[in-house]
Amino acid sequence: MLEVSGLSAGYLGENVVEGVDLEVGVGQAVTIIGSNGAGKTTLFRALCGMLPVSAGRVRFDGENITGRPTHRVARAGLAYVPAERHLFPGMSVRENLLLGAYPGRPDPSALQLVFDLFPRLEERRRQPAGSLSGGEQQMLAVGRALMARPRLLMLDEPTTGLAPKLAKSAYEALQVLKEKGVTLLVAEQQVPLALSLADRGYVLENGRIRLEGASEDLARNPEVRRAYLGVA
Amino acid sequence: MTAVVLDGIVLGLQFGLLGVGMTLVYGLGGVLNLAYGQMAVLAAMVVAVTLAAGAPALVAAGAGVLAAAAAGVVLDRTLMQPVYRQRGEHRVLLGLLLTLGVAFVIDGLLVWRYPTGTLRLAIGGQAVPILGVRMRVGSLWATGISLAVAALLLLFRATTPGRAAHSVIQDEVGARLVGINPAAVRLFIFALSGALAGLVAETRSMTSPVSVTAGFDFTILALIVAVVGGLGNVAGAFLAGVLLGIVSTVSAYYIGQYITTIVLLGAAALTIVIRPRGLLGR
Repeated sequence: MLEVSGLSAGYLGENVVEGVDLEVGVGQAVTIIGSNGAGKTTLFRALCGMLPVSAGRVRFDGENITGRPTHRVARAGLAYVPAERHLFPGMSVRENLLLGAYPGRPDPSALQLVFDLFPRLEERRRQPAGSLSGGEQQMLAVGRALMARPRLLMLDEPTTGLAPKLAKSAYEALQVLKEKGVTLLVAEQQVPLALSLADRGYVLENGRIRLEGASEDLARNPEVRRAYLGVA
Repeated sequence: MTAVVLDGIVLGLQFGLLGVGMTLVYGLGGVLNLAYGQMAVLAAMVVAVTLAAGAPALVAAGAGVLAAAAAGVVLDRTLMQPVYRQRGEHRVLLGLLLTLGVAFVIDGLLVWRYPTGTLRLAIGGQAVPILGVRMRVGSLWATGISLAVAALLLLFRATTPGRAAHSVIQDEVGARLVGINPAAVRLFIFALSGALAGLVAETRSMTSPVSVTAGFDFTILALIVAVVGGLGNVAGAFLAGVLLGIVSTVSAYYIGQYITTIVLLGAAALTIVIRPRGLLGR
């Protein structure tokens, strides 16, 4: 589904991520774990055309999408939910969701899926997005991305700013999506949550992939345990 | 008094549309278009010339609106491109400078070609009594057209393209993430803005002549309305337009025509002092 090879990207000619190789298969849930500043967001931004790629290649569904503008990447079926969410604050929850289906007609079954997953959004569908709590805004960001029925859903730290209980329920929702066959790529600092969801994971450190493997193997890896799981 | 207020509403609806065209372009592209009034005058001159050539009024009016919309398209595709590459303050400043240059160029060309150019769309017929006030037919036409266009804008806002345009104002990154191309939306809005400017020039000329030198007056008026309404806020601009229209006719009637601009600026300044982000600004 997504194949990234030798990807380098950054700001002002300085690479933040370098030589990243990455693969996500159809129906898989894959996580990229790393601490703050490891380059997770830069990597995601480069994948969906928000940052220029200085080297390497991104293939999505067999098509080369390296350096494509963001709106065309989105239309190709790769939905990205950034940590800052970028909702339309003055528009209602419903309007935010409808725009998620742009330029197509909103699919009633997609809307139903979102409301089943997040009943809270249905209750608040007439409220402006800006008036929602942090957890609800995260639900809306994911919901908006789902409206286009994306083939790959990329989430950057979906638990940003959420209390532990809400973070856990966010991951429960992602688990439901995974079981429905949605392909997921999730960048996360909260490593235990991420590894409980993902089939496979990559460890990103200083812009490079340090480790990769099945989630169970990563969870057992002494380096990962020491650095990210708080086990001495 | 009723007559003055009714006249104010007639004028205010047009102010409102004028402000909407200005505020939309600011909201989407971060550009305060100082050539906006010249686009209006361009439309007026196109109408005058096509009418003089013997074209029917409706065709001439259409040609005027199209010409102003085309000017918007050309501006967006050419001079505005380097502006969009800038961010924040730089974008606003470069936009101001370039559009000011365009304003002088259009102004100069039009005054050179049509030194005494004036558009006056005379609409005949008996005055119609409304609320005990005899309204001129030209005023009623201007009001009807303004209301119809405002209603169309309101309907457009609820369509998918309208929603897409609004989303770019709200959060451009978010818009790109859902597959909207902000460049295409900006082009469309620039054209719409030109069309609105042209239309207002035409409705204005139904009640008072629009001269070839009126460009900067239109621009300043549009700026005042847009700022009072809250830059980037369409509903705010429309509301501000109607209110300022009433302020304008009331002050012209009770104080004097020549001082109206000062009163308008005073009202605008007062609004900004009380509500720094405009009437409906966020």
